[in-house]
Amino acid sequence: MNVLNGIITEIRSNEGISLVKVKSNTFTFSSIVLDTPETVNYLVKDNVVQIIFKETEVIIAKDLNLAISIQNQIPCRIASLKKGIILSQINLVIQDSDQSIQSIITTNACEQLDLKENDKVLALIKTNEVSLSAHD
Amino acid sequence: MIQIDAYKMLQTADGELPLAISLTIEKGQFVAIYGNSGAGKTTILRILSGLTDAEKVNIKVGESIWDDSEKKVHLPVQKRSIGFVFQDFALFPNLTVKENLEFALSKNDSKEIVEELIDLMELQSLQNSKPQNLSGGQKQRVALARAIVRKPEILLLDEPLSALDDDMRFKLQDYILKIHQKYQLTTLMISHSIAEIFKLSDQVIVLDKGKIIKEGTPATVFSEQKISSKFQLTGEIISITKSDVVYIVQISSGNNIVKVIATEEDAKEYRIGQKVLVASKAFNPIIQVLI
Amino acid sequence: MINLDPLWLTAKLALITTVILLVVSIPLSYWLCYSRFRLKAVVEALISLPLVLPPSVLGFYLLIAFSPENAFGKFLSDYFDVRLVFTFQGLIVASVLYSLPFMVNPILSGLKNLPPALQEASFTLGKSRLTTLTKILLPNISASLFTGIIMTFAHTLGEFGVVLMVGGSIPEETKVVSIAIYEEVESMNYDNANIYAGILFLFSFSILLVVHLINNKSQKTTLY
Repeated sequence: MNVLNGIITEIRSNEGISLVKVKSNTFTFSSIVLDTPETVNYLVKDNVVQIIFKETEVIIAKDLNLAISIQNQIPCRIASLKKGIILSQINLVIQDSDQSIQSIITTNACEQLDLKENDKVLALIKTNEVSLSAHD
Repeated sequence: MIQIDAYKMLQTADGELPLAISLTIEKGQFVAIYGNSGAGKTTILRILSGLTDAEKVNIKVGESIWDDSEKKVHLPVQKRSIGFVFQDFALFPNLTVKENLEFALSKNDSKEIVEELIDLMELQSLQNSKPQNLSGGQKQRVALARAIVRKPEILLLDEPLSALDDDMRFKLQDYILKIHQKYQLTTLMISHSIAEIFKLSDQVIVLDKGKIIKEGTPATVFSEQKISSKFQLTGEIISITKSDVVYIVQISSGNNIVKVIATEEDAKEYRIGQKVLVASKAFNPIIQVLI
Repeated sequence: MINLDPLWLTAKLALITTVILLVVSIPLSYWLCYSRFRLKAVVEALISLPLVLPPSVLGFYLLIAFSPENAFGKFLSDYFDVRLVFTFQGLIVASVLYSLPFMVNPILSGLKNLPPALQEASFTLGKSRLTTLTKILLPNISASLFTGIIMTFAHTLGEFGVVLMVGGSIPEETKVVSIAIYEEVESMNYDNANIYAGILFLFSFSILLVVHLINNKSQKTTLY
């Protein structure tokens, strides 16, 4: 489970759904939640929240300039790799910060992309895969 | 309406622990008491039933006062309208199932209620057996039936299902619910199972080191808006197995077992038996119509 | 041929002592088990004293106490016309005191071994202490009661020192089997002593055998 702390910078709501921007160090995450500032009290601008997303939802791209719908495109460096038979775990460090996140992708994909330590990659996370949690 | 105010110094393995609680329960409610062992859960039931004294205690049930330590009022156990189901059943070994139930009758009571409860709890075939010949679940049914014979206002259950396997638990939960509703009881039950609390209770009290730290409906107490994810369930970790570079964590929740992938780092934090919240975004699950 | 009187007297003494002790020990054990009285340990120690004290010590004190020349004996003699020295009544009182632990201890340990929830469950079902004792507690310690009865009876059969001190050896009044054996030996009637001793030996052995057979069986029933 990837957990980062961030500050809410923007909230746009419509009919029960909110698009929330949360800044964590150098990167601003987008998250979509089925809540609005009216239904929960943590959705307030400048509030500190936790950004949570599953390793298995983190896509890796080697091409750093993508025309793609995914909103969260985080420039990272590969710190280490742990290859299994089917799956591999990739430990990433977000560029210009010391925050680390993990990605789990198939070992096939890992080999096709020829991922190695210190490669510069993009970590891609769909907006609807990012959960928010009130900081406690 | 039941009002309980109590203060008692508990002697625990880690020294003295003051139990100080104040509690109001509406008539007809099903209240679960949840908390670590040694938090004072059983003591609350024992004080309410009059089995244990407290330094300061004030108990009012409807219009009658059961305890008022200032005015030196203390209604004896026998006079309190309660049914108590003990953790280890406490069936009388010298009496048969039917005699255990009949023992609870007062002199002029009709035996009808005993027959009714034997039918309701499906004890017909066991009624002439002695307790030592019964299984855990059967004993528990007898203990439950016996506690109802006097038609008490309040039913107190001290971890009634902790010794039973899952199948038996689910069945007995249904019996408890049936009895609670049929006899319009106010029920207080100690339970360690969040799934069980969700299934049975209207209210839950979380006790920690002699204090009530949370109170409310099970939904608000256990799945308070902690996380924005809308697909949530609470359960207990039943296994953690390594699979390739990840771990598969099995979680049992109610009648279901779900599996969740975890990284090695996360899996290290988990242990079997831990109560957990499983959450996923509302965007992922797929719905398939069954019929 | 031996005189049968000492045998009847012994049986009568053991029977009466056992009945009295059963009646006295049930409430006493119940009190010892559940009371929070601070000096309970003192009472327990006093009850167990005959287990370790030489019977002659107890007999000596009782003889002094019962003697009409002393306050207690005089009181009994003046107000109730009861004399306890060298009488059968005196033997009964002495035997009751001497065999007390043999009845109290089994009943007490039986009560202590019962799960406390049994008594509490009965209370929550609206039953009084007395009903709980007679309908629930006692039936569930029947093995302990049986042990107490048999042990008391057997122990009273075999007492000597106390009887000799308090009762002396008055035929048909205080001359029990153990005293009779002593006297037969003193007057060199080994044959008669042998018969008395043999009867006592066989009788005591058989009742103890019965106790152990029954206890071994009942140990397998656990309580619920």
